[in-house]
Amino acid sequence: MTTNPGASLFGSYYFALVAALVGNLLIRMGAKAGVLPAWGPATLAVLSVAPLVIAAALFWRLLRRDLDEMLQRIVLEGLAFALVVYIPVAALYVNLRTAGVWTPRLDPPDLLMAPALLVAIGVAIAKRRYQ
Amino acid sequence: MKNTLPVLRAEAGWSQQDLADKLGVSRQTVNALERGKYDPSLPLAFKIAQLFGRRIEDVFDPL
Repeated sequence: MTTNPGASLFGSYYFALVAALVGNLLIRMGAKAGVLPAWGPATLAVLSVAPLVIAAALFWRLLRRDLDEMLQRIVLEGLAFALVVYIPVAALYVNLRTAGVWTPRLDPPDLLMAPALLVAIGVAIAKRRYQ
Repeated sequence: MKNTLPVLRAEAGWSQQDLADKLGVSRQTVNALERGKYDPSLPLAFKIAQLFGRRIEDVFDPL
């Protein structure tokens, strides 16, 4: 039985997310410096996301097998929170940008981090509710 | 939902962790149940009642 879902569930996930972000950074730096071979950026793109795929599988297994019903509910509420916040905000951002209204420039790392942070916030809120 | 879980657990001389282990849930879940912060599923409610040899309505009060 997992007693600390935050650490066990999200530790590996955030590590994998950092790997994806580092991969993104290396691709951009490599392209700028012109040091990567032609196959380099695509290879880096795929390899840097591989830990996320593994983390996703672990996350799924933990959610289905290792968490009890209340902890599952906390995680699902956290995911739901992220979804209900992220989608309207993302839609608003896209539409404002399309309309030509000034919007902050978001890089791929920002777009990757936003849902992860929202899930963490959602889980923290849900945990407080059941404490 | 109110419940008599803390009383029943104390009568049995178990810690929250003991009860959690017997139910196959986390200690946080037992704590949330006892404080009335979390309402258990029907299977978990039956498991709790059976563990203490009571009926569900003797353990949980919907009011």
